[in-house]
Amino acid sequence: MALIRGRDRGTGAAIFTASMADIVFLLIVFFVLTYKVEVDKTQMNLPETWIRKKIPEKAAVISIAPPDRGSTIRVSTGEEMALPVSTIEEVITFASTEVAKNPNTEFILKADKDAPYARVDEVLDALKQSKVKYIFLLSEQLTAAEL
Amino acid sequence: MNIKKKDIASEIFTGSMADISFLLIIYFMITSAFSATRGLDFALPEETDTPEIKQEDAIEVHVTPGGAIEVDKKSLPREQLLPYVLEKLQQNPEKPVILRTDPDASYGDMISIFDLLRRANEEWTDDIGNPIYKDVNGDPLVEIKTISIPTQREIENIWNLLGMG
Repeated sequence: MALIRGRDRGTGAAIFTASMADIVFLLIVFFVLTYKVEVDKTQMNLPETWIRKKIPEKAAVISIAPPDRGSTIRVSTGEEMALPVSTIEEVITFASTEVAKNPNTEFILKADKDAPYARVDEVLDALKQSKVKYIFLLSEQLTAAEL
Repeated sequence: MNIKKKDIASEIFTGSMADISFLLIIYFMITSAFSATRGLDFALPEETDTPEIKQEDAIEVHVTPGGAIEVDKKSLPREQLLPYVLEKLQQNPEKPVILRTDPDASYGDMISIFDLLRRANEEWTDDIGNPIYKDVNGDPLVEIKTISIPTQREIENIWNLLGMG
């Protein structure tokens, strides 16, 4: 007698994707909120410090590249991409213009830890001559083990 | 005569939503920068307010190439810097610290000493922020009030004024 066999049942192997849309939108919202255009993309090793205060978002940026990249100085108002300058007088002109717009403009100095201090000294002097009041020296966190 | 109304399909087509979403995620992941957003703050004195600092009234810290320090013209290990400054400030809490860096030193050398001086507040207070030390007047001593970082031009100007240029 022929047995009537039941059909083979499929083993429901589908991946549950109903929550994928939620996860994806959550990720998008996260990236939209944390998204920040980096005005200066120069790769550098920042110095490490124990004391670190939050830098203001709308500050002007002056960067000094590592010595192997010629310690090039770049300036940015904080809203547009940084542009290289060839002389220290251009830094004075840039800083003076920003200070003229807003006397309380804050400046971020982003310099490689191996940059020669003579170069940093020139920039600090330019900022002093331009009557800049506040400077933030960008740094990485120094760990307790490195103290 | 009965005319049947056709149901118009009013669903929004969402088949490509996943593609668009993933495209947006990839875009934000690639272009977003988790950049450093912290650093040491440093207020520059306004020229009109700058008090005249005589060298003998200040503690002079000289950073040499390689990161070694000379304090008041004497070589000193880093770990001795804050105890030395503390001893001086206990006698005169208004004494400024002048941080002078050799042009041949690196920026990292200067920053590490500046950071060490700024750490005085943590070293001189207990876990809940109470002062540990007092000055000669009995007032709490919790920080270095003035840390001055003169530029090479300013140092040369002082030398010229003193006729040493």
